[in-house]
Amino acid sequence: MPDTKRMPLDGALEVLHRRRDDQVVVSTMTTILPWRSKDVTERDLRCVGFMGGASTFGLGVALAKPDVPVWVLDGDGSLAMQLGSMLTIANAAPRRFLHIVFHNGVYDTSGSQPVLAEGKMSFTGLAEGAGYAKAVRFDDVESFDAALDELMDVDGPVLVELMTEPLRKDYVRPTPAQERLPGALAQDWPTVAESLAKA
Amino acid sequence: MVGQTKPARPIPAEALYDAVKAAGVTDIVAVPDTHVRSLIKLMRERDEMRFIQTATEDEAITLAAGLVVGGRRPLVQIQHAGLFACVNHLRGVAIEGQFPMLFMIGLLNRDPEKAPRDNFDSMVRHTEPLLDVFDVPYYLLDGPEDVGQIEVAMQQALDRNGPVAVLIGDQTA
Repeated sequence: MPDTKRMPLDGALEVLHRRRDDQVVVSTMTTILPWRSKDVTERDLRCVGFMGGASTFGLGVALAKPDVPVWVLDGDGSLAMQLGSMLTIANAAPRRFLHIVFHNGVYDTSGSQPVLAEGKMSFTGLAEGAGYAKAVRFDDVESFDAALDELMDVDGPVLVELMTEPLRKDYVRPTPAQERLPGALAQDWPTVAESLAKA
Repeated sequence: MVGQTKPARPIPAEALYDAVKAAGVTDIVAVPDTHVRSLIKLMRERDEMRFIQTATEDEAITLAAGLVVGGRRPLVQIQHAGLFACVNHLRGVAIEGQFPMLFMIGLLNRDPEKAPRDNFDSMVRHTEPLLDVFDVPYYLLDGPEDVGQIEVAMQQALDRNGPVAVLIGDQTA
């Protein structure tokens, strides 16, 4: 992997956790467990078993409830599986939509294989080309922390590309039950739907 | 004719549109489709139901699921080839996620004289068996008299918290 400055995943998630309010948060793959260790509300949704689907899932919520902010905690390998979703999101133009891509350069859960075109491509560039309202890349926690409040106020869709460290050195593969999270979505969404219906 | 008593006939787009609306659909999530293009044209022109185009059928399913979370009642409109393309999302989102989700699937190139399973075109021939594999109920709409099945299918999707499909047998008029 090219020598790129990167931030720890935990530090990036902590920045988000400190701003968590009424947002619907859609997490997927390796961000699910670390995010849940920090923050679980009645507005959390977990996407497991259909890589690449988190962003358009969040888009659906955002289009149904345009006044509710939606954060998608996406992965680089996941987004690569559904790059067309960036066009769908840009075209639908959800106003309060933060698409956060954790770009660590590898497929952490499957053995750290490299993400395609690592070192050459940029999700920020792809988002700009697709027509997102704004796209910004950060490689350290401090600059992300300093910019996030302003980004949350921008009319979206906004893509935030976070250059994060791979987990592989200390990554403990979850037990099958944790990783598979069977029924996670079926378990989560009625609670979120109820919360949104009350809003 | 093999396996059916009468040939499929085109359903006027207006009749399909009215039936979709009567089923309480709020949003159409669609991938461009030749087979029902006259219906898509109507849906895009009118603003009674929101029309949302996606790049892929995978996205159509996840987007529709998100709409359900937000209290909407979407219709996923795709073609049979798109159904084959989105099988994992059908399984992982619509079925395992237990989302009430109505699919409208166009059987492009279907020989209207034959039952779908007896068609030469493999995309037509394999559509119903694929839905059977996943226990997805479906209704074949082979003429204007069948459009009432859309409301039945929607209610079934709501009752079972899962996907139900209506198959459009002939190209819409």
